[in-house]
Amino acid sequence: MESLHPRIRILWVAQTAIMAIVLGAVFVAIDRWITAVPTAGLVGVVAVALVLGAAYAIRLYQVWQFELQPDALYLERGVITFVETAVPFVRVQHVDTQFGPIERALGLSSVVVYTAGSRNADVRIPGLPPNRARDLQDTLRQLAVESEADDAV
Amino acid sequence: MNRLHPFSAFTYAIQYGLLWLWIPVFLVIGLAGVFEPVSMAWLPFGALLGFLLGAAYGVVYYYRFGYAVTPDTFDVASGVFARRSREIPYRRIQNVDVRQGVFQRLLGLAVVTIETAGGGSSEAALSFVSKSEADRLQHQIRRRTAQVNGRSETPSTEPTEGEAPRERAESGEPTEPSEVDAEAEREAPSESSESEVPAPTEPDEAGRPPAERRPAPSTDRRPEPQRKRLFALESRELLLYSLTTLRPAAIAAVGFVFFLATDSILEVLLTISQPFGGPEDLATGDAQSYGVLTVVSAINGIVITYLVSVAYTFATYYDFQLGRVGDDFVYERGLLQRYSGSIPVEKVQSVTVTDNPLQRAIEYAGLWVETAGYGPDSSGGSQSAVPLARTAHVHRFTETLTGVETPKFESPPPLARRRYLVRYSLIAAVVVGIVFAIAHVTPLERWYLAAIVFAAVPPAAHLRYVHLGYYVGEDHLVIRRGFWRRRTTVIPYYRIQTVTTRRSIFQRRLGLASLVVDTASSRTFFWATPTIYDVDLEDARDTHRTGRKRLQSALRERARADDVGFSVDFT
Repeated sequence: MESLHPRIRILWVAQTAIMAIVLGAVFVAIDRWITAVPTAGLVGVVAVALVLGAAYAIRLYQVWQFELQPDALYLERGVITFVETAVPFVRVQHVDTQFGPIERALGLSSVVVYTAGSRNADVRIPGLPPNRARDLQDTLRQLAVESEADDAV
Repeated sequence: MNRLHPFSAFTYAIQYGLLWLWIPVFLVIGLAGVFEPVSMAWLPFGALLGFLLGAAYGVVYYYRFGYAVTPDTFDVASGVFARRSREIPYRRIQNVDVRQGVFQRLLGLAVVTIETAGGGSSEAALSFVSKSEADRLQHQIRRRTAQVNGRSETPSTEPTEGEAPRERAESGEPTEPSEVDAEAEREAPSESSESEVPAPTEPDEAGRPPAERRPAPSTDRRPEPQRKRLFALESRELLLYSLTTLRPAAIAAVGFVFFLATDSILEVLLTISQPFGGPEDLATGDAQSYGVLTVVSAINGIVITYLVSVAYTFATYYDFQLGRVGDDFVYERGLLQRYSGSIPVEKVQSVTVTDNPLQRAIEYAGLWVETAGYGPDSSGGSQSAVPLARTAHVHRFTETLTGVETPKFESPPPLARRRYLVRYSLIAAVVVGIVFAIAHVTPLERWYLAAIVFAAVPPAAHLRYVHLGYYVGEDHLVIRRGFWRRRTTVIPYYRIQTVTTRRSIFQRRLGLASLVVDTASSRTFFWATPTIYDVDLEDARDTHRTGRKRLQSALRERARADDVGFSVDFT
C-alpha cells in the first residue's frame, strides 16, 4: 500500500484554517450587525474548529492509502466513514493529473480517475509528487488500454 | 443537412420573441431612472422592437439548425452566432425518444431526443419534426446502430459491410432520402395498424398471450427486423398501477397550485371545515376549531394529491406497449403526451423490480431497465419495461431477461436491526423536540403526546430490516432494499463499474459494512446507487472480492462468447 506525500497534511490543515477563518468572520459579522457574541466564545469556537480540523487532516493522512492491484486500483480513505474502493482498470474512462494553486505551491499534484459510473464516478488521489502523479497516470492509462472491454457504455 | 419542420420556425420565433422582449423593457426601466431623455413612454416600442428582433433570431435559428443521418454518426449543427456542430457515433447512442404533446399531436409534430451516456442532458433534441420524420429517424438510427454494433462483433466482415454505407453516402445524398422515405411510409401505416389491434381479452391469470408477430411488409427489399410485441399494459393493470402509485410530482404540483392561489384555497378549506366545527374565519377560533380545520384540510390535501397522482399515472402510462425490433426494446405510452422510445438491449446496465406495500398486498410488481442515458422522465436512465404485472410474471420476466437464477436472499445480521432502532429513535426524538419547541411559541398544549411517534420506531426498524436482502449469484448480484418503494436490482457482474465498501463510525463499532456496487446507470434523486446495507464486514469483503473477480472472468467470457447478456424476448 502506498501513502500520500506527507506535505498533503499542510494542504489539508491550510484548508481547515481557511474554513476556520471564514467561520470566525461569520461570527464577527453576527457580532457586529445582529447580536453580541462573547469574544471568548468566538475565539473558542474558532480554536476548536481549527484543532478538530487539524486532527482530522492528520488522521486522514494516516488512513489514506492506495495500491495498484492486478485487476484494479484500490483505495482506502476516510475518517468518519472508512471507504474502500476498487476501480477495475477495465472501467477507467480517462485519467487526469490536476493541481490547484495551493497544491502547486506545495509541489503536489492529484490524479483523477474517471469511470462511467454514477457514484464515485471520479476517484481522486490527492497529494502526490508531480513525478509520481505522471507515472501513475501513465501506468493507469496503459493498464486501462490493455484491459479494454468491448462493452463500453 | 435536413431542416426541422417549418412550424418550428414559428415556435422558435415566438419563443425568442417573448424572451428578448424583456431586454429592452428592463433597459428602458433601468435607464429611465438614470437618464432624463429616456422615458417610460418608450416601453411599448422597446418591447415590440425586442419581440421583433427575438422573432427574427428565432427564424434565423431555425434556418441555421440542421441535422443529418450519416453512415457513422448522427450530426447536428446549430447556432446563429456561435456555431456548434456535433457528431454522435451510433455506437454511443443509448436511446432515441419521440415525444408528442397534445398540440404537437394535433399538428402531427414530434420532438426527437437522442441520449448518450455522457453529459447531463440530451445530446440532441430536435423540436419539432413531423411525426413521420421522427419515426423515420428513430428507425434509421436504430438500424444503423444495430449495423455498427453487428459490425463490431464480427470483425471479419468489417471491411465489406463498413464500406457499403459509406459508398452509398458518398455517391449522393439524393438516393438515400428517397429510399428512406419509402421505408418510412411503409413503416408508418403498419405501425398505426398495430396500435389498433385490440388488447387481448384473456384473463391475466392464464399468463401472457403468445407474443404476436406482425405480418412482414411484402415489399421488403432489405431484411428488416420485425417488430414484435413483448408486453402491453391492459386496462386492469393500468388502473391498478394508477391507483397504487403515488408520484412525488403530484405532491409538487399540488404544492405549487397552493402556492399560486393560497388565499382562495384557504377560503375553500375554511368553508369545507365549517360543517365539522371549523373556525368562522382564520383570525377567530379556538384550539379545537383550528384542530378541526387542520385535520379536514390535511384529509383534503391527501385526497386531492392522490387523485392528481392517479390521473397523472393514468395519462402517462395509458396504452403502454413494449416491443422489440431486432435487439432493441421499443416502447410507447401516453394519453395526452405520447412518448415512444427505443433502448438497445446491449446498453441495459441493470434491471430492477419495484413494488410498494399496496402492490405487494395485491401481489403485483413493476420491472424497470436502467441505461446510462437520460430518459424522458425524471427517473433518469430508468425505463419502465413492465409498469405493473403479477409478481410471479415479473419475476419470470426478470429471470428470462437477465438469466439470473431465482435468488435466495441473505439478510444482514440482526445487529443491523438494532442500528435502525437507534437511528429511528433519534429521528423520533427530533420530532418530539420540534413539537416541544412549537409548543413553546404557540398555544399548543400537551406536546408530550407527540411521544407517540416512538411507537412507530420498532415496526419501522423491523420493516426496513426485513426488506433488506442480497444474493451473490453465479453471474449476477441481486440487491433488495426499501419498504415504501422496495427495489430489487439485478446487476450482472460484467456491468460493475466500481465496488466500494463503506463503514461509518457506528458501523465500525458493530463490525458492519455497506457495499456500494456502482454501475453506469444514471444516478438520480430517487434511484440511489445499489447498496447492500449493514452486512458483516467479512461478508461485505467477500462480496467485494467476488464482484471484482467475477467482473474480470465475465468480461473474458463475453469477449469469447460474443453474448449480449440480456435476452430480448423476456415475456
